[in-house]
Amino acid sequence: MNESSVFSIKDCTLITRMAGLDSALNIREMRERVAVCPIECLYHHFCETVIRPTFDDPEFRNDFSVWCSTYLGDKKLAEQLGILNPYDFNNLEELRAKMMEIIDERLSELYYIPSAQIGEDFQFMRAVTVVFDTGKHIYSPDDLIRHIPFMSDSSLYYHFVEAHRRTLQSTDDFTVYLQDFDHEYEPLLEEFAKIDFYFLNLHELRLALKKSIENVIGAEVPHA
Amino acid sequence: MPRSLLEYEEIVGKINISILRQLADNLKGARVVHVNSTRVGGGVAEILDWLVSLMNDLGLEASWEVISGPPEFYYTTKTFHNALQGKASSLTKTMIEAYEDTNQQTADKLRGTLEDADFVIIHDPQPAALLEHFPNRKGKWIWRCHIDASRPYRKVWKYLEEKVVNYDASIFSMPSFAKRLPHPQFIIAPSIDPLSDKNRELEDSEIKAAMETYGIENSKPVLTQISRFDRFKDPIGVIQAFNMLRETIDADLILAGGGASDDPEGQMVLEEVLEEADGDRQIHILNLPGDAHRMINALQRASTIVLQKSLQEGFGLTVTEALWKEKPVIGGNVGGIKLQVHNHHTGFLVNTPEGAALRMRYLLRHPEELEYMGKTGRRFVQENFLLTRHLREYLTLMLGLRRGLANYLITE
Repeated sequence: MNESSVFSIKDCTLITRMAGLDSALNIREMRERVAVCPIECLYHHFCETVIRPTFDDPEFRNDFSVWCSTYLGDKKLAEQLGILNPYDFNNLEELRAKMMEIIDERLSELYYIPSAQIGEDFQFMRAVTVVFDTGKHIYSPDDLIRHIPFMSDSSLYYHFVEAHRRTLQSTDDFTVYLQDFDHEYEPLLEEFAKIDFYFLNLHELRLALKKSIENVIGAEVPHA
Repeated sequence: MPRSLLEYEEIVGKINISILRQLADNLKGARVVHVNSTRVGGGVAEILDWLVSLMNDLGLEASWEVISGPPEFYYTTKTFHNALQGKASSLTKTMIEAYEDTNQQTADKLRGTLEDADFVIIHDPQPAALLEHFPNRKGKWIWRCHIDASRPYRKVWKYLEEKVVNYDASIFSMPSFAKRLPHPQFIIAPSIDPLSDKNRELEDSEIKAAMETYGIENSKPVLTQISRFDRFKDPIGVIQAFNMLRETIDADLILAGGGASDDPEGQMVLEEVLEEADGDRQIHILNLPGDAHRMINALQRASTIVLQKSLQEGFGLTVTEALWKEKPVIGGNVGGIKLQVHNHHTGFLVNTPEGAALRMRYLLRHPEELEYMGKTGRRFVQENFLLTRHLREYLTLMLGLRRGLANYLITE
C-alpha cells in the first residue's frame, strides 16, 4: 500500500488572541483598521467564526457583518459584507480590497456615521491554531466515506473548511484523497463540490456531508 | 473532589475527551501551578477545583496554591476588584504595603514550587505581584484576569499595570474585557462543570425539599437571582422589579448569595437588601454558606426564570449555570451576560428594574417561549461552555506558548 492511499485523520484546536489593534466604534474606524490589520485577523473574522465557542448562531458568517447589523444597525452594509465568501477570492488581500471598496461606497452614502456604544466596539482578533494527528488512519475510500459522519466538528472543520486555504487546489481534503482513485467516486466529489460550506455552521456542514454521501450511495448513513 | 475525564464522556462525548488526551500528550509531565486567593466561594475557586484535577488526569503535574493575608490585604484586593470594574477608589500607602507584603510572604513560601514550574497561572489581581519576586523563573507566567477590566479606574490600573506587564501572556474572558498589554492577550471564556454539585442532575425530591426548607411554595412562579451580595449585582433593583411584577402576577422571589471569603463588603450589602425587602414573606433572602452548591443547584432548578440583573459583570457563570438547567435568563445588559443572553432565544437583556419586570411578565405569560428558550440555552452550553472546551483552550494556549506562538502549529 502506498502512502497516498492512507488518509490520516487530523484534528485542530484554536485559541483566540487580541490582534493588537485599537477597537473600532464606527465604520470609518473599522475601515482604517481593516486597511492595516494582519491578514490572519481577516482570516479569523471571516473563516474561523464557525469554530469559536458561541451562544448564538448569527445570521451572518463574518464578524464584521454581525457587528454592523447588531451594534450599528447598518443592515445594508451588513448584507453587503455578509455575502462575501472569502474562499471565492484568490487570496485574502483581494478580500481586504473588496471589503474596503464596499465600506468606502457605504461611507459615501451616509450623512452621519453611526457609532456603537462603549463596550460594543469591534475588537480585532486573530487565533493560534494547533493541528494534531488523531492517530486514526483510513486505508480505503469506502472507509473514509463511512467515517466522515463520525468525525469531530473540529476535524470536519480542518479537513473540509480549513483545507480550502491549505490545499494546492483550494479544495477539501476528502476530495484530494478520493480523486486519486478511479472514477467511481466522481459523483460524490460532485456532491461535495456543491456544498456551500462557507455559509454553514459545523452542525449544518455535517448534515450536508451526510446527505451528499446518502445521495450517492442511495442509503441512509448512521449519524454520529 | 478529584475528577476524571472518564466521568464526562457521557455528557460531552468520547470524541471530545479523545481530543483532550491527544493534545495533552504534547504536554505530559508539564508542571502547572495555579495561584488564586480563595479555595471556597466565587467562580474562580469553582473553576480551579475541576481544572487542576483534570489537568492531572491528562498527565500534567498541576497544583493549586492560595495567597492569604490579613484583613487589610483583602480590603485592598477588593478595592482592586472594584477599581478594575471602573469604581473610583483610592489606594493608601497602608493598603499598598498590605498587598505587597502579602505577595512577598507568599513568594517566599512558594519559591521552590513557582520557580521551577513550567507554567504559572496567576488568577486575578490578588497574587499578581508575585511575578516580580521570581527573577529566576524558568517557566511561562500567565496572568488570568477574570474581571471586566475594559474601563478600569485609571489611578488604580496604573499601579496594577506595573505588576502585570512582565507576564508572558494574559488571559481575559471576553475580547471587550482585555486591556492592551505588551504581551499576547488570549481570550478564554469560562465554563461550568456539569458534574459538580452545583450543576449535576438532582432528584425531584431533593429540589422539593430545598424549597420546603425555606417555606417556598411551588404552586407559584419562582424568580431567582443567585449572586453574592454585591452592589454590582443590583439585588435592590431585582426587588424593585419583583414588586412591579407582583402588581399583576403573584410569584416568589429568591435572592440567594453564597459568601466568598475574600469579599468584606458582603455583609453590608446583605443588610441593605434586607431593608429593601422590608420583611416581605414572598421575598426569600438566603445567605448561604460558600459550599451550599447542591442547595443553589436545587433553587436554580426549582426556578421558573433566573435573573442576573448585574450592573457590571465578569463572564457571569450563574447565567451559564441557569441556561444549562434549561432556564431562560433575564440579565443585565453588561459584560459576559451579553454574550450569553440573546433576546427571544436564551432570555432577555435588560437595563432597568422596569425592563426586568416587563420581561418577567412577558415570559410568565408565554410558557411556550419559556420552554423554547430553556432548551436553546442548554444546547449552546452543551456545545461550547462545558469545562472540556475550557480545558482544551488552556492546553492549546500552553502548547502555543511553548512553541513560540506561531499562528499555525502542527504537533508531532
